[in-house]
Amino acid sequence: METLDLIVNIAASTLRLATPLILAAMAGLLSLQVGQVNIGLEGMMLAGSFAVVAFGFWLGSTWMGVLAAILVGVALAALFAFVVTRLKANLIVSGLALNLLASGGTAYLLEILFNTSGTFSPTALQSLPNLSLPVLSDLPLVGRLLFNHSPLVYVSWLAIPLTALFLYRTIPGIHIQAIGQNEEAARSVGIPVRRRQYLALMIGGALCGLAGAHLAVGDLALFREDMTAGRGFIALAAVYFAAGRPRLSALACLLFGLFEALQFRLQLASSIPPQFFQMLPYVMVVITLAVISARKEWRKGWS
Amino acid sequence: MPYLELRGIRKTYPGGVLANDDITLSVEQGEIHGLVGENGAGKSTLMKILYGMEQPDHGEILLAGRSLKIANPHAAIQLGIGMVHQHFQLVPNLTVAENIALGAEPRKGLFADQAAMHSRVRALSERFGLQVDPAARVSDLSVGLQQRVEILKMLYRDARLLILDEPSAVLTPQEVESLFSVLRRLVAEGCTAIFITHKLYEIMSICERATVLRRGRVVGSVRTAESSPAEISRLMVGHDVASPQRTPPNANPRDRLVVRALTTGSAHRSTPLDFTIRSGEILGVAGVEGNGQSELIEALLGVRTGVTGDIVLDGTSLSRLNARRRREKGLALIPEDRNREGLSRPMQVWENLASATYYRSARASVLDLGGLQGAARDLIRRFDIRVSSEKSAVSTLSGGNAQKVVIARELAESPAVLIAAQPTRGLDVGAAQFVHEQLLNLRREGVGILLISADLDELLALSDRLIVMFEGRILATFQRDAATRQALGLAMAGRLESEDAP
Amino acid sequence: MRALFTGALPRTVLTVLLALVMGGVIMQVSGKDALNAYQVLFNSAFGNERALANTLLAATPLIFTGLATLIAFRAGIFNVGVEGSLYVGAFTAAWVGFTFVDLPGVVLIALAFAAGGLVGGLWGLIPGYLKARLRVDEIVTTIMLNYVAIRFTDYLVTGPFFVPGMANAMSAEVTPQAQLPRLVERSQLNLSLVVALVVFLVVAFMLRRTTLGYEVKTIGSNPVFARWIGMPVSRTIMLVMSISGLIGGLAGAGQALGVNYRFVSGFSRGLGFDGIVIALLGRGSPVGVLLSALFLGALRNGASTMEMFTRIPRDLIDIVVALVIFFTAVEIGFNWLRRRRPTPDAVPPPGSAAEPEKEGVRGNA
Repeated sequence: METLDLIVNIAASTLRLATPLILAAMAGLLSLQVGQVNIGLEGMMLAGSFAVVAFGFWLGSTWMGVLAAILVGVALAALFAFVVTRLKANLIVSGLALNLLASGGTAYLLEILFNTSGTFSPTALQSLPNLSLPVLSDLPLVGRLLFNHSPLVYVSWLAIPLTALFLYRTIPGIHIQAIGQNEEAARSVGIPVRRRQYLALMIGGALCGLAGAHLAVGDLALFREDMTAGRGFIALAAVYFAAGRPRLSALACLLFGLFEALQFRLQLASSIPPQFFQMLPYVMVVITLAVISARKEWRKGWS
Repeated sequence: MPYLELRGIRKTYPGGVLANDDITLSVEQGEIHGLVGENGAGKSTLMKILYGMEQPDHGEILLAGRSLKIANPHAAIQLGIGMVHQHFQLVPNLTVAENIALGAEPRKGLFADQAAMHSRVRALSERFGLQVDPAARVSDLSVGLQQRVEILKMLYRDARLLILDEPSAVLTPQEVESLFSVLRRLVAEGCTAIFITHKLYEIMSICERATVLRRGRVVGSVRTAESSPAEISRLMVGHDVASPQRTPPNANPRDRLVVRALTTGSAHRSTPLDFTIRSGEILGVAGVEGNGQSELIEALLGVRTGVTGDIVLDGTSLSRLNARRRREKGLALIPEDRNREGLSRPMQVWENLASATYYRSARASVLDLGGLQGAARDLIRRFDIRVSSEKSAVSTLSGGNAQKVVIARELAESPAVLIAAQPTRGLDVGAAQFVHEQLLNLRREGVGILLISADLDELLALSDRLIVMFEGRILATFQRDAATRQALGLAMAGRLESEDAP
Repeated sequence: MRALFTGALPRTVLTVLLALVMGGVIMQVSGKDALNAYQVLFNSAFGNERALANTLLAATPLIFTGLATLIAFRAGIFNVGVEGSLYVGAFTAAWVGFTFVDLPGVVLIALAFAAGGLVGGLWGLIPGYLKARLRVDEIVTTIMLNYVAIRFTDYLVTGPFFVPGMANAMSAEVTPQAQLPRLVERSQLNLSLVVALVVFLVVAFMLRRTTLGYEVKTIGSNPVFARWIGMPVSRTIMLVMSISGLIGGLAGAGQALGVNYRFVSGFSRGLGFDGIVIALLGRGSPVGVLLSALFLGALRNGASTMEMFTRIPRDLIDIVVALVIFFTAVEIGFNWLRRRRPTPDAVPPPGSAAEPEKEGVRGNA
């Protein structure tokens, strides 16, 4: 019974920890599909974390904070889109700049606005209450595992099929794929390329805002400097791992979430150092990319 | 009243390249109008203007008598103008139907109405006799079918005026024939077409009238029924094409390059290639582009993996050597796409000239800058490269001068064997003549030359022998005297004369 | 390439000024006196000998990482992985410094730098090999490997090289004779600056005058041509990535031996990423890198004093730097850096099939 308990606990925390990854991965996937590798996921998430705490605190409502996080994510994404599509700045460099802007900007604002550095956890701010789905949450084990979570966990589950539906079935989604694979072709049939790029990136910004919000108020209710701690890049790793496909990306996020869960649980109990689990997602994506490329090279030879 | 009229179109690109100069032409309703000219004559620019991809500096476009300003391709589509680009504008991972409907999808709320899309595509296919599976992924289709998708894309948008930019460049003669019958059917259904090409026989067989461009200007407009290929050709190049002076072939030739059982590991069924080039011989390679010529070049040069077989140059096997060693043994190359494979455009002229040999004069890995620049100045003089200084960037040179940089570099080391791939592509007549003279000089000096060209006239004028490549193999070999345009054409289409003759 | 950089200096200065002005606006909006803040910042960066020395101290690792990024940029490789090399280099140098305690100082310092550079170079070789042999996009792999390096070195100092009684994750102190000699009094400025300047000279000479520099330039401008003309492209890419990693490793060694006297987990906090800023701001020239490193060093050094005296968070400088990057990225857009496709296929070089010759033969002769 105790082992079963442990397993359920680990599984449930996997789902919680995977939530920001899934949301950010859907964002990364949309920008990848529209042909714009987005290094700035991390920064957008961090800004979302800050926004949810700051606005949640000011407005006295965590949900209003979540809304603010979404808006901040969208605004940063719009800035990013403007810089890379309109001003034609280099993607990677702009993404790095966005991350620096977010980490410097949130730390700066933390001091200026709240006169504190490091961590900010106002007592007036509540974390999002767990949403226990009626009936379902009473099921043994499954109820605790699946249906007793912070609301944004369910949002992340919804985000997966919705992203797939959007990308593969809606007209803007088809256009986004077309732009990513052959921008010239998309342009030649009069698709408003730039507007679609904005759309893909800004939806991504909203998702990143949500991801950041979950990090800050999904469990506890606090903002810590650089609290995203590379999760944006783990999400990006998941997207590359899954070659840009929504469901597979989400699965990869779950896997990476599991690593994170294990690292907390096993730290004391086992001899596996926690850094091992921290490194695993990055190592896996490098190996995966190497294997995919090796197979491709094998098939086509140099040309 | 003509259906389409262009009046006084003028276009200068940034950097001062005058692509179109006062171009006026008219196309009648229901006509297939040819637009011919050499590479760089301004055909593509003109059509980009008509399709809204470029804006003219001057001039007027009239469609059915109405003066128009075409701001972008979308506007052109709205006006019923459609374009099939030379490089297909398709999205590989989408289906045929999604590609055809792209940007004009039937909607069902937010979603694309797949069923409506498919049935409309099917209806169009049947009406114009263009069979293709709407649910197939475009990346799985052959080139010919992809072109069909492109044409259907225009028809789906109710294009009445179709622009086809070099549509035959990637097709076999059979596919060209079927393209022609499609075009005739389209015209019968009320469309008008502009057919861009530089192949004369195509103009003669499909177009009623043709407008000839040279150096960005209209130099003539002819009725094909009242004209001849010779006349159009004269208009295109500006004078009669003079056959280059050939000396008689080498009396005691020896083998310079022997290729045995060479497979290139390409997508084609890799049939081994065997051929020999002797001293003082030009071996021409004919074939529709994409039939293994590029793979052959890469295999000979040593920049391709998965190659098997033997390549022997003057008795030395090259097979195990890398590109640098092969060059040291006397192999030289004028590549197909000089800007991609033959030059570094941002770099200076001397740097490009030195790129094959820079390492030899280096001491302890330090470049001999003075020596290399001096050698470059000599080559500039010897090959008459028009450039202000050896320190100019290659990107500032004209196509002909850039090609001279390639040739100067490749000939500087007195090669034993030269591979010349499309050596006159995109060059004006003077520059092309210069290249031909250089090749014939080398032939006289006993160099073995492999001449790969899409230009049958060039091949027929220069080659001592000809091989025809089809789907990665050598389908036929012709001695100079037996090589006729007709026989070559059949072989390029994959048919041997012997198959027809009993 | 050269034409790209004409008038580079005035434009660089302009972008920097613009970012500083916007930083000032942010300060004013936050209710701070921006002019005063900048005055304090300038004084504490250049005001006296000690301030200048500290600016040079802050610039030292940036010279390394800027050059490391630059040399890869020149070959058309976007190496985001200098940060990772810096970590493994720093640990290795520290390890040498606290392990071979019996060696004399000169030998030990040389050995520590060499080992740090070597391991940094090997670390750079991983993505270099993947790019050269398997054509794996180096941007993704280097980003990912950075995190691996950071976590792995953290593991080393919390696991096998754990020192009991330390509050933070850090290694043992290097032996005194391995600690780099200081160059001036009352500042930590140390020998590492001299090493950085030597590396600068070597890199500048290498790029201008050697066969490797020539190959790097050719590959950076048109990799297909480089291969067709017979240059050892794969080998050069691997070599360049190794050199880039090596310089990153030296940067880490310098910090470990000259500033912290030990390996401290997570010590860099983006020195490697700053290298990208510097290479960008320096517009591909070694001298530009030197100047940009000095500028960024001054900002970072001045920021802490500014924070102390004006109570303006030093994070403001991160915002200014981010703005500098934005403006510079917008303003130059190295043409080969521009618009990378997400697919791992090689980028078409400028003037390739993707960008056919303009039609028309008149214009130039």
